[in-house]
Amino acid sequence: MKYVGIGIPNVDVLEKVLGQARYGADLPSESPLHLKVVRSTKPHAKIVEILTEEALCISGVERIFTAKDIPGRNLVGTITKDQPVLASDRVRYVGEAVALIAAENPEASEEAAKKVIVIYEDLPHVTSPEEALSIDAPLIHEKGNLLLEFHLRKGDVQTGFKEAEVIIEETYTTTWVDHAYLEPDAGLGYIDEEGRVTVICPTQNVHYDQKEIASLLSLPLEKVRIIQSTTGGGFGGRLDLTVQGFLALATFHLKRPVKLIYTPEEVFQVISKRHPLKIRYKSGAKKDGTLTAVEVDILGDTGAYASYGPTVCIRSAIHATGPYKVPNVKVRSRMVYTNNPWSGAMRGFGVPQIAFAHESQMDILARVLEIDPIEIRLRNALQVGYETATGQPLMASVGIGETLKKIRIFTEEARGGRKDESREPKIKRGIGVSSMWYGIGYTGIANPSTAQIEIHPEGEIRLFTGVADIGQGSNTIALQIASETLGLPPDEIQLIHADTGFTTDAGPTAASRQTYISGNAILRASKDLERKMIKEASRLFGIGENDLFLEEGKIKSRRAPRISIPIKEIAKRCGTVIRGEGTFDPETTPLDPETGKGVPYATYAFATHVAEVEVDMETGKVKVNRVIACHDVGKAINPKNVIGQIIGGVAMGTGFALMEEFIPGKTTSFVNYLIPTSKDVPEVIPIIVEDKEPTGPFGAKGVGECALIATAPAIINGIADAIGKRIYRLPASLERVLEAIQKRKMKSP
Amino acid sequence: MIRFILNGREIEVEVPPHWTLLRLLRERLELKGTKEGCGIGECGACTVLLDGMPVNSCLVLAPKVEGRRVETIEGIGNKESLHPLQKSFIEFGAVQCGFCTPGVLMSAKSLLERNPHPTREEIKEAISGNLCRCTGYQQIIEAIEAVVNHLKRETI
Repeated sequence: MKYVGIGIPNVDVLEKVLGQARYGADLPSESPLHLKVVRSTKPHAKIVEILTEEALCISGVERIFTAKDIPGRNLVGTITKDQPVLASDRVRYVGEAVALIAAENPEASEEAAKKVIVIYEDLPHVTSPEEALSIDAPLIHEKGNLLLEFHLRKGDVQTGFKEAEVIIEETYTTTWVDHAYLEPDAGLGYIDEEGRVTVICPTQNVHYDQKEIASLLSLPLEKVRIIQSTTGGGFGGRLDLTVQGFLALATFHLKRPVKLIYTPEEVFQVISKRHPLKIRYKSGAKKDGTLTAVEVDILGDTGAYASYGPTVCIRSAIHATGPYKVPNVKVRSRMVYTNNPWSGAMRGFGVPQIAFAHESQMDILARVLEIDPIEIRLRNALQVGYETATGQPLMASVGIGETLKKIRIFTEEARGGRKDESREPKIKRGIGVSSMWYGIGYTGIANPSTAQIEIHPEGEIRLFTGVADIGQGSNTIALQIASETLGLPPDEIQLIHADTGFTTDAGPTAASRQTYISGNAILRASKDLERKMIKEASRLFGIGENDLFLEEGKIKSRRAPRISIPIKEIAKRCGTVIRGEGTFDPETTPLDPETGKGVPYATYAFATHVAEVEVDMETGKVKVNRVIACHDVGKAINPKNVIGQIIGGVAMGTGFALMEEFIPGKTTSFVNYLIPTSKDVPEVIPIIVEDKEPTGPFGAKGVGECALIATAPAIINGIADAIGKRIYRLPASLERVLEAIQKRKMKSP
Repeated sequence: MIRFILNGREIEVEVPPHWTLLRLLRERLELKGTKEGCGIGECGACTVLLDGMPVNSCLVLAPKVEGRRVETIEGIGNKESLHPLQKSFIEFGAVQCGFCTPGVLMSAKSLLERNPHPTREEIKEAISGNLCRCTGYQQIIEAIEAVVNHLKRETI
């Protein structure tokens, strides 16, 4: 292959290194009005009245909007529509939007926001899922505080635990994590040349935004246009609406360009977080390490609104076994409303949390049974032909075993390195292993993608995709797939992306789905164009279609090798646009509400990480020296980008393991929310395994979220290896590690 | 009115005394390549060079640059002639979302001007004030190292 499998530079990289890429706050506009959102200071309260008179007197203030100004449905949400853009009768978390200022300059809008008086009547508020489920808990939403309860059953766990020779039961807790993308949310609203309410801003899904805005403003879909600006990271935080609703509402009423830039503190306060999960996990195994049963109970805090809470609830349950063969499985997963910050999509949808639990369990089993951590995983690893806990038989591309085998040599090497640890007695070294699996795409529901590619009589080739590239490189991969099919270099194809004015729905940049699902749609569109070009060539030159084929951008004849006509030439002779179209929706089935049975995902990605850690026994400081990260991605369409995802994922996983903790009411900014710097990240050795997925484009699956999932448990297992004590609550901060070390001291005689 | 050298050219500009250098660059001079990430000197996205040294332009008051030399991402290279660091960042895949990239490039440029042969640890130190959420830094460090190695070869 000429274009697929090659690490070409990303197509948008030049403008980025030159500082010419235009992010949300960089967009040019002629004298826009400046918006500012007035936000709730109460965790749970009735809104009695919003007084705007004083604010309206400030010079430059054009208008102040409240929920009353919303002409359509003031409820948004990707799965459950329960979240107002502007709160109407009550607020459910600190930071909820209650009013929107539009003013001639940013100073006036800020001043006015301070002068808006909201009269509240306090309601009792709920700060934990346990409290939310108690009988006398105040209701956060009318339908009750339990957002969703999901069950998964396979075999009979009672029998499974009877067969077990060792049973381990522990509770694992994770906390809120911020996406911490660097670009504050920002954008522009205006009426475009066709009279559409137009919003341009960073986003992970322009077509979702379009539907929500149309419904919010009670406009037909075609009267709303969303364009993705260059997006400074996403990680799930930009799957829900951020600035879109405010920009669209103000544009709709004022018919003037409007601009909104969130303050960095506002981003921390109001963008969704990773769901905190509390996981009770019971595993049974034979002496040889073979798992006989797992029983898992998951309790999640979705905060004030549903967002992706249902997804996290179900996905964490489905992935609860880890990438292992478990004959008897029982999982209950509950997601609960509270008045805490709302949680949503964040890289992995609950799988990083559940992997912390199942991989800690696996590590404990290995220690108790004195089996090598790689070996115990190999003995249990999923294989082709095995049925997962949802009863899905795995048909192909199950590379978990291969990742374990490939990584084994590194654990041996790391153990060798541990022997010289005696030089500094206060430093203890450890090695941790962790594996993961991740279902590609949305869970048991249709999540199609569409794409088109056309060739114009002037020779121009245009590829249309609704996919939002958030830095991971999907634009480049889209072009590589089209290039490979047409045999033309990427720079000969113009890409039109993520603008609802020109592109059709590709679904979200989420669930590691774009390479597999949109990649397939692009591949099908390219193949469709290929067929049509052959047909046209056959008609023009009177040669049978079966004798013609496409190679290097030319239609060639098998029988007459001298015939070689560039497709651009064919398009010119046809005189009309020739268009290829492609759609792909992975084959899944809905899950049974009682048992969870079904086919949630068409394919799964697998990985194993090994972390080499050092623990300072005096301070509790953990240093991760090296992470070896071996990923089965099916096929790396762009190996450089796959490696980029892996290394970036390991960094984020390191933060998740050791330092990242959003504390409601306390965390305000990067001053008190620490993410890894260049001095905190381990050296990463990425290893790519390509166990090809037959339904994937050129065999590809996905890697985006997978990259981060195995890192934190590998580090936690490494800490356990070093200090002989285990951390059950993330992050493993200095205090928690020190506490664990001291517990050991107290216990040992 | 303040006068300073911006990307090699002397300029004169009117600026309110409370404006930061970042605001001057972005709003008055329309140089949008320098990014505002956190606004409080924590993320490094707004890094520019002041007399060759990296500074968070969100923490520098504009009048303080009077008579000094300011360099921004717009001044280090262009499409036709990229800075070696820019070339290397492209080659090594050191850019993902790209929001931190201008700031990181400025920190790296300053490092190489002051210390043409830095160690890997010195490179890590030099960019430790620039947060990056996408790349995990490794390809950034490799890209800078490659320029260093190239410079070494040239001096030998």
